[in-house]
Amino acid sequence: MLLEMSKKFPINGKVFMPSILSPSIRRVKIYAIFSLILILAGSATSYWVADRIGFYTSEIMKAEEVMQLTDALYLTILERESNIRAYIITGDRKFLENYENSIIEGEQVHRSLQNITSKNEIQQNYLRDLESIIRVRAEVFEKTKSYYMENKSLVGFLTDQRVNSAIDNYQNIKRIIMSINEEESRTFAEKNSGLLNNIRALPFTVSLISLLSIAMGLLTLFSVLHYNKNQKNAILQTQAYQDSLQEKLNLLDESNKELEQFAYVASHDLQEPLRKITSFSDLLIYQYRKELKGDGEMYLDRIISSSNRMKRLIIDLLEYSRAGRENDNSMEELELNIVIDQVIESLEILIVEKNAKLTVSDLPIVKGSNTELEQVFQNLISNAIKFSKPNKPSEIQIDSIAANKEIIKQFPHLEQDQAYHLIRISDNGIGFSEEYAQRIFTIFQRLHGKHEYEGTGIGLAITKRIIEKYKGVIFAQSKPYIGSTFNIIIPKIN
Amino acid sequence: MVLKKKITILIAEDDEDDKYLILKAFARTLPQNNVICVEDGEVLIQYLNRVTPYDEDEKYPVPDIILLDLNMPRKDGKAALAEIKSHDVLKKIPVIIFTTSTSKEDIDASYSLGSNSFITKPSSFEGLLKITEEIENYWARTVVLPS
Repeated sequence: MLLEMSKKFPINGKVFMPSILSPSIRRVKIYAIFSLILILAGSATSYWVADRIGFYTSEIMKAEEVMQLTDALYLTILERESNIRAYIITGDRKFLENYENSIIEGEQVHRSLQNITSKNEIQQNYLRDLESIIRVRAEVFEKTKSYYMENKSLVGFLTDQRVNSAIDNYQNIKRIIMSINEEESRTFAEKNSGLLNNIRALPFTVSLISLLSIAMGLLTLFSVLHYNKNQKNAILQTQAYQDSLQEKLNLLDESNKELEQFAYVASHDLQEPLRKITSFSDLLIYQYRKELKGDGEMYLDRIISSSNRMKRLIIDLLEYSRAGRENDNSMEELELNIVIDQVIESLEILIVEKNAKLTVSDLPIVKGSNTELEQVFQNLISNAIKFSKPNKPSEIQIDSIAANKEIIKQFPHLEQDQAYHLIRISDNGIGFSEEYAQRIFTIFQRLHGKHEYEGTGIGLAITKRIIEKYKGVIFAQSKPYIGSTFNIIIPKIN
Repeated sequence: MVLKKKITILIAEDDEDDKYLILKAFARTLPQNNVICVEDGEVLIQYLNRVTPYDEDEKYPVPDIILLDLNMPRKDGKAALAEIKSHDVLKKIPVIIFTTSTSKEDIDASYSLGSNSFITKPSSFEGLLKITEEIENYWARTVVLPS
């Protein structure tokens, strides 16, 4: 159950969180962009409207000016007529001066009109026609003036023909002026018909764009609010996940503590009757040695020896269950050379007895607990000495190199981006066949009989457990009768 | 000439088998009357305080040393030890903790409470004989006991 729980909520793993956030923020972005586009469109439309209105206004003013000019022209023509008549009637030279002035004015106005309507061929034609009629009238006026100045009356001058032609010309002038005005109106209407339609449609377009902008703005606002709500929910959910995770971790912790207590009590209570067995067997031998005939003493020795072995198994089992369980407080950065010195010191008797030679190179600083690292190297070094060749003293080398990428790749469960040390413990002992390379790390697995080499076969299992807790790997290589190398891959401290 | 008096040992031990073994081991050198066994801490305190029926000096003499097991029913070793070592008269008697426990906590606690020694029970009878011999040798002959 513990294994399932620790798989579901790995201590170092990440808790999966559904992605509630992405669609909301995307929607907000889309609405915001649309709102922006609509606002820009609205601005562009308004700018265009203002521009068109300006254009339209200037067109109107132009048309008005033409009409004003045509009125002014008409006025000058009338003035000419009335001034000439007044001169003829009163003989006052002042009227003659006014007559001259109105000619000049008329020409000015005429020129202005020509300028303003320079782009319109029809108007230019009208103006040319008007010009010729005005010239004709001007000639008549000149003739009338000179005749009057000569004869001091217009008798004999004002023929019916002259009167009729005057009336005709007068009507023509009026007609042309009206045509000019009409033509101006027509071109104005023609030029601006399209514009007029657009401008009429304008309130509708602007209203539409405004409504859409407002709608978009509201949508954006709502989507932001929605996003906020989702955020809050996401945070609550994360909090709930965290709480749930913490709860599960607490349960796991509790369960582990219970298990450890159970293991301790079990092993302690198991050892008690065992002690009685050995004690009383021993007492039996002590008290009744003389009476024990035949194989009696041997039987009792076997009983005692089995009981002692059972005791060692129980103690080792307890140690195995405790291995790698030191809490994180005791993890520190340790110099391996110092750890190994301590181990060599504690194994001094064995080293001297077996005449073993140890060569230790420069080893790195690693993160771990002193007790556990001592256990690891004590196991490995004492194994190397224990399994030495009978006639050859044990020679052991311990060195460290940087683990290269190929080796790390061979163990896919290792974090591939992390740097590792590769620590090697090599000996010249009896070695073992490589087919057992994995089995030796299994609990209680031994490759030799109990009588050949003592031990319960738990040392390497404990070592492996500790190294794996440190997120490393241990593996062995060997050639029978030549020697073995135990390799430890352990993470480098950053 | 120094009269070598045989010391009197009071043992507090609840387990029948352990009681048998330890009495057997001491029987090699000490007379039966010099080794008395009580079954738990409660009785031990009563004995030391001369509570009836433990007020008969002949049958229940005041011991020279006390051998104390830690795991006992009713009053356990640590509680009894604390009581003895806080009693003005009784605290003079040397107390040897004699237990199966090997835990650091128990060892430290025992010495903190004032025990004079801490011995782990062996699993062989030979071992037990050696220990009883050493206890007698040390406390009866090597050291001087209070009056």
